[in-house]
Amino acid sequence: MNSAPVEVLQVSQLSAGYGPLTVLHDLDMTVYAGERIGLVGLNGHGKSTLFRAISGLTDWQRGSIKLRGQEVGGIRTQGPGRHTHRIVRLGLAHMPQGDAIFPGLTVAQHLDCGAYTRQAWRERAQRREALLDIFPPLKQLLQAPVGTLSGGERRMVSLARGLMVDAVLFLVDEPSLGLAPKISRAVMDALMRIDLRNGAMVIAEQNMSLLEGRCTRILGMHAGSLKGSA
Amino acid sequence: MPDIDLSFVLLSALTLASIYGLLALGVSIIWSSLGMLNMAHGLTFTVAGYGAALAATMISDNGAVVLGAGMAAGMLSGLFICSVAFIPLHDKPNFVVRSLIATLALSLLGSQVLLWAFGPNARSLPPLFGSEPVVLLGMTLLPDKLGAIGVAAALMLATLWWMKHSRTGLEIRAMMQNPEGAALVGIGLRSTAMAVMAVTGALAGLAAVLLSQTYFVSPFSGTTPLVKGLIVALCGGLGSIPGALLAAALIGTLEALTGALLGGQYVLMTQFTFVIAVLIVRPRGIAGLLDHTRE
Repeated sequence: MNSAPVEVLQVSQLSAGYGPLTVLHDLDMTVYAGERIGLVGLNGHGKSTLFRAISGLTDWQRGSIKLRGQEVGGIRTQGPGRHTHRIVRLGLAHMPQGDAIFPGLTVAQHLDCGAYTRQAWRERAQRREALLDIFPPLKQLLQAPVGTLSGGERRMVSLARGLMVDAVLFLVDEPSLGLAPKISRAVMDALMRIDLRNGAMVIAEQNMSLLEGRCTRILGMHAGSLKGSA
Repeated sequence: MPDIDLSFVLLSALTLASIYGLLALGVSIIWSSLGMLNMAHGLTFTVAGYGAALAATMISDNGAVVLGAGMAAGMLSGLFICSVAFIPLHDKPNFVVRSLIATLALSLLGSQVLLWAFGPNARSLPPLFGSEPVVLLGMTLLPDKLGAIGVAAALMLATLWWMKHSRTGLEIRAMMQNPEGAALVGIGLRSTAMAVMAVTGALAGLAAVLLSQTYFVSPFSGTTPLVKGLIVALCGGLGSIPGALLAAALIGTLEALTGALLGGQYVLMTQFTFVIAVLIVRPRGIAGLLDHTRE
């Protein structure tokens, strides 16, 4: 390992929003390899929009986003989601709010969907076993349609699906949202156990107590810009 | 009650059901995975008919060659529609209406091009399944109908199996259920759309060759099958594959019964009455609520 920190994500002068609404205002942010960053802030201050801009899902965006040195941002006025699959294939794992699950597919099929790289597809059985150790409640549910699962189980499916490949940047959007305190703590524990290798993880969260003492840095978000760190 | 030949009605019903099933399956899969109501599905049908007819006169009138040529022509037509009406439009606002208009325009244009290239004369395809009637359990069965049912059922099952068990099928179903989630697991919308349009085009091509055992190939021969495919898909619940197949069976039986009992001119009337009745009782179609599909 060399001593100079490697940048996994470099965001500079990023503005983004929906229709006439500007949510992010010239935001700058850098994430280094090996970091686990907590992103805290109130509802509606742009945590999700920042994640969605990185994966190209906002209505429009402007500014540079470099994922492992590769430019994935630029100016875009339409086509939300048009480039998302290419950005994802560069090594992004985005676990969105609302989980973006496929209600009619089983847990096992979700995990197969997540293994989209050639290597992950070949090793999908081993990877599934490894993830079932992290999320043990899914073991009995492998053949159940995800539409029939509880909120906590769905969250685990969504996270596990994103973890099937070796991403370099994990964006986890409010993993505790809508979950009972005990379950959200278990989900957070699972996220903290994941081996990042040379990647990094950014967790957006409103509940500071779930993150305290477990992150490399905590960034505050207010009105579309980053405000201070702890 | 007029004297009707029950085996004949049954066989006609099954033949129509399998052909409508092929078309409705295509319309339904395209709608639920791409969000596009493909008005050019009838054009694909016609193009495939001409492809098969050309192959029959220029290459060989062997059944497998004709079928293969029809399916290949249908596949090409599907890919063409995808690259003209889906790829440039899919991320524009109001895509549903835009694509409806674009595919309708393609359909009208395509029919005129076929008329210009091949003239208004209808063509017939060589019989694929021989012409010897088969006698089974005291009923005389026509080989073209038996063959149509067999081939259509086999390929429909193959398509369903492929959708359920192949990796591309998994990607298509993922995209049907949550396009954003699909993009987040690296599924490319455009390449998957191409796969969908190629497969549904081939199914329409198969339907064209099978139906041309009874009807002729002409520049506008795709219109009625398009209407039938659309109403069957709508009646089954747009986007539901089991619903489409069930509706195809019901509407095919209705058509065969109407033809035998009342006469062919009443077919469209009874069919539309039936579809309207179904949609009044179940506005989302027969299986519209049973399946997990796009809202």
